[in-house]
Amino acid sequence: MKPKKYNLLIAAVALATLGCSKGFLNKQPEGALQQYQITNTAGVQALLTGAYASLYQEGDGNTTLAGTGTNAWEASPSNWIYGSVAGGDSHKGSSISDQPPIVPIANAQEISSNGFFNDKWISLYEGVKRCNQVLATLAISPSVSDSMRTEFTAEAHFLRGHFYFELRRCFHMVPWIDETTTDYNQPNDADIWPKIEADFTWAMDTLPAKQPNVGQVNKWAAASYLAKTYVYEAKWAQAKALFDQIIPASYGGTGAGGVTSNNLTYGLTDRFEDNFDASQKNNKESVFAIQMTANDGTLSIAHANGGDMLNFPYNSPFRCCGFFQPSVDLANSYRTDPNGLPYVTDYNSHGIANDQGLDSKAPFTPDAGNIDPRLDWTVGRRGIPVHDWGLHPGNNWIRDQGSAGPYSNKKNLYWQGNLSTYSDQSTWAPGSAINLLVIRFADVLLMAAETEAQLGNYAQAEVYVNDVRVRAANPANILYQYNDNANPLNGFSTTPAANYVISPYPAGYFTATTALPAIYFERKLELACEGHRFFDLARWGIADVMMNAYYSFEGKITGDLSTGNFTKGKNEYFPIPQPQIDLSNGKLKQNTGY
Amino acid sequence: MRPKLDCLKGWLFLLLATLISISSFAQTKVTGKVLSAANNQGVPGATVQVVGAKTAAITANDGTFSIVLPAGRTRLEISSVGYDNQEVTVSGPTVTVTLTEKSNTLNEVVVTGYATQKKKDLTGAVAVVDLGDAKKQPVPDVNDMLQGQASGVSVVGSGQPGASPVIHIRGFNSFGNNVPLYVVDGVPTQNVADLNTNDIATMQVLKDAGAASIYGSRASNGVIIITTKRGNGRPKVSYDGYYGTQVPKGGNVWHVLNPTEEGTLLYQAEANYNTLNPSSPTPLGNTIYGTGATPVVPDYLVSGTVGGVTYSGGFAAGSTAADPANYNADPTGTNYYQIAKANKSGTDWYHAIFKNAPIQSHNLSVAGGGDQGNYLFSVNLFDQQGTLIETHLKRYTIRANTNFKVGNRIRIGENIAYSSIDNPQANGGILVEGSAVGFSMRENPIIPVYDIGGNFAGSAPKGLNNPRNPVSIQATTSNNRGLAQRIFGNVYGEADVLKNLTYRTSFGGEYYAGWAHTFTIPDYYDAEPQYTTSTYNESSYNGGDWTWTNTLAYNLTKGDHNLKVVGGMESYEFVNHNIGGSTQNYFSYDPLFVNLTTGAGTQTNYSNSNGTVNSTTVIGAGETLVSYFARADYSYKEKYLIGGTFRRDGSSKFIENRWGNFYAVSAGWRISQEDFMKRATWITDLKIRGSYGLMGNQFNALSTNSYTLYSLDKQKTYYPTVGGTGSILTSGLALTQIGNPAAKWEQDGNLNLGFDLTVLKGQLTVSADYYQKNIKDLLYQLTLAGTNGSATVPAYNVGKMTNNGLDLMITGQTNITHDLMFNGSLSFTTFHNVIKQIDANGTPYFDVDGRRFNGSYIVRNAVGHPVSAFYGYKIAGFWQNQAEITAADQAAQKASNGAVTTYQADEGVGRFRYADGNHQGWIDASSKEFLGNPNPKFTYGANLGLTYKGFDFSVFLYGVYGNDIWNNVKWWTDFYASFPGAASSKTALYNSWTPTHTNAAAPIQDAVNGSNASTNTVPNSYFVEKGSYLRAKNTTLGYSFTSAKLTRIGITHLRAYVQAINLFTITKYSGIDPEISVNQMGNPPQNATTDFGIDEGGYANPRQYLVGLQVTF
Repeated sequence: MKPKKYNLLIAAVALATLGCSKGFLNKQPEGALQQYQITNTAGVQALLTGAYASLYQEGDGNTTLAGTGTNAWEASPSNWIYGSVAGGDSHKGSSISDQPPIVPIANAQEISSNGFFNDKWISLYEGVKRCNQVLATLAISPSVSDSMRTEFTAEAHFLRGHFYFELRRCFHMVPWIDETTTDYNQPNDADIWPKIEADFTWAMDTLPAKQPNVGQVNKWAAASYLAKTYVYEAKWAQAKALFDQIIPASYGGTGAGGVTSNNLTYGLTDRFEDNFDASQKNNKESVFAIQMTANDGTLSIAHANGGDMLNFPYNSPFRCCGFFQPSVDLANSYRTDPNGLPYVTDYNSHGIANDQGLDSKAPFTPDAGNIDPRLDWTVGRRGIPVHDWGLHPGNNWIRDQGSAGPYSNKKNLYWQGNLSTYSDQSTWAPGSAINLLVIRFADVLLMAAETEAQLGNYAQAEVYVNDVRVRAANPANILYQYNDNANPLNGFSTTPAANYVISPYPAGYFTATTALPAIYFERKLELACEGHRFFDLARWGIADVMMNAYYSFEGKITGDLSTGNFTKGKNEYFPIPQPQIDLSNGKLKQNTGY
Repeated sequence: MRPKLDCLKGWLFLLLATLISISSFAQTKVTGKVLSAANNQGVPGATVQVVGAKTAAITANDGTFSIVLPAGRTRLEISSVGYDNQEVTVSGPTVTVTLTEKSNTLNEVVVTGYATQKKKDLTGAVAVVDLGDAKKQPVPDVNDMLQGQASGVSVVGSGQPGASPVIHIRGFNSFGNNVPLYVVDGVPTQNVADLNTNDIATMQVLKDAGAASIYGSRASNGVIIITTKRGNGRPKVSYDGYYGTQVPKGGNVWHVLNPTEEGTLLYQAEANYNTLNPSSPTPLGNTIYGTGATPVVPDYLVSGTVGGVTYSGGFAAGSTAADPANYNADPTGTNYYQIAKANKSGTDWYHAIFKNAPIQSHNLSVAGGGDQGNYLFSVNLFDQQGTLIETHLKRYTIRANTNFKVGNRIRIGENIAYSSIDNPQANGGILVEGSAVGFSMRENPIIPVYDIGGNFAGSAPKGLNNPRNPVSIQATTSNNRGLAQRIFGNVYGEADVLKNLTYRTSFGGEYYAGWAHTFTIPDYYDAEPQYTTSTYNESSYNGGDWTWTNTLAYNLTKGDHNLKVVGGMESYEFVNHNIGGSTQNYFSYDPLFVNLTTGAGTQTNYSNSNGTVNSTTVIGAGETLVSYFARADYSYKEKYLIGGTFRRDGSSKFIENRWGNFYAVSAGWRISQEDFMKRATWITDLKIRGSYGLMGNQFNALSTNSYTLYSLDKQKTYYPTVGGTGSILTSGLALTQIGNPAAKWEQDGNLNLGFDLTVLKGQLTVSADYYQKNIKDLLYQLTLAGTNGSATVPAYNVGKMTNNGLDLMITGQTNITHDLMFNGSLSFTTFHNVIKQIDANGTPYFDVDGRRFNGSYIVRNAVGHPVSAFYGYKIAGFWQNQAEITAADQAAQKASNGAVTTYQADEGVGRFRYADGNHQGWIDASSKEFLGNPNPKFTYGANLGLTYKGFDFSVFLYGVYGNDIWNNVKWWTDFYASFPGAASSKTALYNSWTPTHTNAAAPIQDAVNGSNASTNTVPNSYFVEKGSYLRAKNTTLGYSFTSAKLTRIGITHLRAYVQAINLFTITKYSGIDPEISVNQMGNPPQNATTDFGIDEGGYANPRQYLVGLQVTF
């Protein structure tokens, strides 16, 4: 009897103990990969693609790469907030209470605890991290061939250069983390421009000109970015040496010129709008573009300009959300004189008529004066065709004129005619397949012009500026009235929508006094609302003068700039995000003035 | 679901009919008397029931009775309110029965960890829940039952059907999961949402280490031991049911303006701006109210384009814009033309979505048993329509518990329950913007629910801002479906190996499966349509866990010594699988047509083995635990009690520090048993207790916490390298999770001191405990420096926290007169939680919950403060005039040596002036202060009952004192500029600052510049309110019918009652309900521990009126 019971007990305990065999407590993660699975060519290739993907700066579900709870626009690679709104070519838009953290940025009143900066910072460093992962994993993947190793390394260096370039121009002094760093709490006590130069130089020296895929960066993109870096550093001689090679002789360079990854020799498209038309992307003007797609199976707009999802006219067929409204100051800049030249200094005295304060029900006649045709491909204004969507109705498409003025943005609008291909309607605000041009050839030409002017070569500078103006003057850039206003899809008439007058500068116009202001102004016109303005003003050292003039002019028109006041020596850079300073235990030092 | 219900009804009827038809034969007469053990007096009105027959009698006023025993029947069961039931065998013509009062619970057997103990022998802090009181709540969830019924337990619920309340025991034990461990019939689980509350036999809350440490690894949050009912005696069929209605709060709950007042506020806010900005005035009026000298409420609201002309705003009847011929609810949105008749009297959006709703529950059980075994079967239907339209909980549960004796030494049995739950909850969550509730305070009342074509109206006409139609948010979910099913239970065997040695093995756990589908359609009627294409989502999941427990128990009594020892081991495994997908663009929106394959658009799918049910997150891992444990309890002369437990746990979540050891020691002294106490005859029992021990926790580590992982994510790591236009994405990878292989168990050091006092022969008992918990090595997902990128950060053992508090429970009962009996209980709970460390090397706080204060946060969890404290600027008053501002600026410039030019950002007349919290002379981020604490100073519950003859009357009051609430509703309604054109409050119009109304509540309403750091863009004390409340949770009047007639037809117990739930609430809180639960559906989901007490439109607890019936055959 008793032994029998013991047997039962022993059997049971033995069974129970089986449960704690060594493997029972080892539960391997599922649905993810561990390092040993990716130390090979395919793994590194995928890590590199992941590094490219961080160009979007976007996470799942319209967040930033900084993660849950953030909003895609806080770190949009278009820099519409940090470059355009902060630089005064645009208002934040919508109503003033919508996305309030942008208001102080627009007014040069930003503080370090503004969460937008933290999200931008983390998103950019996530990009850096992904590049470093490529390099670090490559180092422990002996099976990767030498040629692939070279290619992967070069592309990773290029992309890392891009993220650091963004960090450097936004936050000034930033810590350097590379593939060898183990302690991620690094000080920001050294200027990282030389390291950025090194990354782009590496890429330029090893990348081929032609790539199998158009989305891959090539030698000439690296050369252009390196030249841009030199321009930011005011290293004019080094910059010129590169521009001479990059720019084809037909545009004033010295040789055959650079090519795009798909082997198109650099040049300006006839139509200015081609740069902002998804059906024309990856053209010869596309030096370095973030590839956007619509309806790519993600049911998201993560690859469709998600960071700019708010930037469509309000109450319009685009649905959302009335942000990113060009300023009156910007629109006025497109006024041309009888010779087709801009009013470089007193453009606001020649303002363009607008419908500020006017209800859509009240009548309004668009301005009849001379206008640079680029205005109507940049700024949406009442009574003028908006692509093939119809006449801009004015106030009806503006969330709050009192807050942000009468205009809406055009460069990020898709066309109704190819809506289903190039727009993405899968989320609460639309996305589009318009590539984001980090560097386009017109930008290269204007940087080259600036370089030549800085070196005293005014005639050469004028050649480059006139390249850009000649393209703008191409009749292909005239916006025409609709055949039928009630049916905008029914094509355009032959009647220009406005009185477009534009000419290149007359030979010999550029001098020591006129060249730089003209070049600066041309950048404003050509690259408006493309996220450059603030960074340009800052590096030119005139941001305080220009922005304070802007606040005093524009602030009288709209309610969102009431606190605007740019402090020289401080507001040229954004503050290091306070949470990062807190996390660094004193290693990170705040920028001057914050 | 309906056919199933009908089917069930048929079965139940058949079962009842069979049972009622049982009849009896020959007879013997017996007389007797029923006495009370307390005073040896006769007990009147007691029921004397012949076991196995339907004969019964009622005792007279002196306790006597006479009854006729049918042939072959010898056992009587005697029951009376306030006494324990008793069975006796009749051996002669007379019989005397002594009943023991229920309150004399010292010998009550309490189920504790892997053992049972008599209550008088307990040395740990164990709250035994009085199920009689707890079960009066018409709630389907065990956790709801516990509110105010057990000291030391905090429960916060909502009116949302099926939403499990937030429960925590003795403060907070971690930054994450604070859900206690439930042990149901010996099986550990964290999910008791589907446990039929009618099935519960006993419930004990193990609060201190002395009681709970035996559950080591999972004990830190406290343990709730639940046993389900067993049958005994003759077969008994019981029905318990109620039906009632739920009534949402009435009146203008958001205090919003009517359309005329909205127009007045608009003009006032514009005029205010113009007064302040004379150089750049804004024109008066807008597209809704016109641009005349005074606002005009329009006849129609229009939005759309016709003939190339866009109309958007308010229009008069007869205008072209409002011509019904233009109306076009174009499903593609391209030619959408909305015309809605303005609701001039104002739409009551709250009551457009909150309606009266029925609630009902029906429970039927059959139970019985004898020497060889026993059984219990039960079925329950709980059906609660939500007061919010398109929400409900329909739950079926079935239970079968059986136990058998095999010979004298072996017992086997099983407890198993099946549940089926259909529970659509509020679309988009509660307490967050974006839900129907959140929009009901924002949608302008001028908008009607439906437009002239019967489709939804909305905010598309310009000037109404961007809220979404709250009715449409809920109504469009009406075709969504889902079902969750679960089987939970165990099988066990017990063998008496030796005389005092018992071996027990139990294998139990759960298997669950569920699915859900949703369908969204375009909403062009709203200003910012959320959807432009139809989308169908379907998801399905299944999984389960098992726990296998083997124990050996040894019990020895020798003279004055009693020793109980239990030892054993336990293993646990958990797995879960999710699968789902979605498709867009449907030819027809007919719910019979739409599924994952019939859509024309992009198809997606996902699957994973993730620990979170229904998660679409890719990464996961199964979880396993192995544990060894032992406990010993020794008592000497039933006076000196000492106990000890030890447990060693291993977890698959940890690698380098896989194993953790947990222990506890406890001691008790029953002073009342000492000779020197014998004179104090009024003391029935007095015991002092103390314990110290260590409990653990691992909930806050992900199952993959130890691993560094790379993953693919179409949105985050794919790139169209080829530059294509469509679906040509190249797969990419990124490091998405950092591993921490060094993570280890959290450790919760726990000291408890308490006493149990019973006086006046059991008429009054007091149980009190003071505790002190020091928790260290808290697992916390640290924020790493941004230079690390954004990979998921693992949990590190960095935090420290303390809790201390007092638990007090007083119960009493007394006979006021012969017939009138009073019983009552009072529970009192306090906890004081302090964060001691978040990361020794990092920031001593972490901020959460930014809402619309982008960049700054409402909640700061900081060292030296309790969890979830509110943080921001303290308002010192209004800037009454420019001179005040100028003076403050000058002082600030002086104090800062010119470093600052203004005292505070965006200062202005009529705006808030902030207090200089750190006395630096000006306001910046460092001036912020802690503004409030959502943790109450104490909570209390009081059950008061009276019985008179067959009547019973009871009231349960529950109260919370000393907490603060962040009323974020005010952000939307009290500041016109927050969202101009959306609904505003009476406060905004009638009690905002103006030059002639300077002693106002809200700041100046400014249509253009009203949103700024000196009004509503930073967290400030305007939103903080006192949250104390006292609520009559339950008021019941019942009557128990006792008559020979009933007995003759087999009814041994028949009680009918009427009940009012939440009859009244006393509070100063201005929101709809001071009981603020936690939003768990937001983005990011709010954490019940580190972010609670914020009201942005909750699902208020409705008032309920019920009638109920309890019958036993």
